[in-house]
Amino acid sequence: MKQGKVTLVQGSVVEEQLQLSLLELCQACCIGEDHVKVWVLEGVLQPVGETPEHWRFGGESLRRARLALSLSRDLELNPPGVALALDLLDEIAELRARLQRIGGA
Amino acid sequence: MKFQDYYETLGVPRGATQDEIKHAYRKLARKFHPDVSKDADAEARFKEVGEAYAVLKDPEKRAAYDQMGSQWKTGQDFQPPPGWDAGFEFSGADFGAAPGADHSDFFEALFGRRASARHEAHAHARGQDHHAKVLIDLADAYHGARRAISLRMPQLDAQGHLTLQERTLDVNIPKGVRAGQHLRLAGQGGPGHGSAAAGDLYLEIDFNPDSLFRVDGRDIYLDLPLAPWEAALGAVVTAPTPAGEVQVTVPPGSSGGRKLRLKGRGIPGAQAGDLYVVLSISLPPADNEADRDAYRAMAKAFDFNPRAPHEGVNP
Repeated sequence: MKQGKVTLVQGSVVEEQLQLSLLELCQACCIGEDHVKVWVLEGVLQPVGETPEHWRFGGESLRRARLALSLSRDLELNPPGVALALDLLDEIAELRARLQRIGGA
Repeated sequence: MKFQDYYETLGVPRGATQDEIKHAYRKLARKFHPDVSKDADAEARFKEVGEAYAVLKDPEKRAAYDQMGSQWKTGQDFQPPPGWDAGFEFSGADFGAAPGADHSDFFEALFGRRASARHEAHAHARGQDHHAKVLIDLADAYHGARRAISLRMPQLDAQGHLTLQERTLDVNIPKGVRAGQHLRLAGQGGPGHGSAAAGDLYLEIDFNPDSLFRVDGRDIYLDLPLAPWEAALGAVVTAPTPAGEVQVTVPPGSSGGRKLRLKGRGIPGAQAGDLYVVLSISLPPADNEADRDAYRAMAKAFDFNPRAPHEGVNP
């Protein structure tokens, strides 16, 4: 990793080409599996698959997990509080999108 | 280096209890959290508040900070007196300079080096995954693009000091990418330790604001102004799209606010989005006599009462 070195890199779009395993999601967010399991239980994250070994998370889960982490750490929220905050933020985002569609943003 | 008055930042007196500090912090953190607040300076304020709390919530650091005296004000030039922290042992494991944490020089000078020295790596741990945001133009999502992205990454040098390393990556932005999606660049995160693999780099995509187009997921919205006669009689007009101009057929009798869908003209992909043209009617100005006469002729020609729905409301 030298300064100023330019490399052309190809990425994959998480939302379309990838599904993250529990381990990958934990690595991507620098958190432990227990955090993720609690958030799944609270409905913050909704993976596909029945058991933790088979869970697959989409890109939306990556965004939500990082948001959940920063809210629980910065605001000292417990998991139900995180779940409520995320639901309300989703609702605000939906209302903002609706406002934007009619050009009132 | 500028002094930071952490009590002032949290709005508490110097004698505040730990509980008062915690409550003041939580209140401000909720207000300025960048994921919650839309204030332009929310992120900067949130960092200040977090830094103040990182010091004041920890009794050892608070005591060390307090003994510098109360005569200092935020923004004053400041150098820590030699031996200011003698006799203090900072043991808080959750403390401070997490990689990428962006504290003030003041904080770094007082508490930073010590914290980074404790940042030990496991012998053969995989490198950390890193995250960054990247802003692209809407047109890039239509055509794909190659973007040079500058990243600053905290790294530990041989002496264990935290330094910021800059590097540039040339990234292929795939066609059809949307705001909020993540691009994973394998192996471009933090370096692994020993023989372990490097982490990945996740880029979160967002669009630069556009003066014409509004984006909603894969769909695009465009306001299309029409002259009253175009809306009334119908017309074929030219409209811009991020992929170039198109001809739009406006049906006769269109009213303002009507949406015309151009199927598949939104963000491309396996399920391409749609482009919605929102009609708006612009009135021609009437600033000379001839124009005013034209309006008067119209008034005569039409038996039109736009306020018909109000009739009978106040009998």
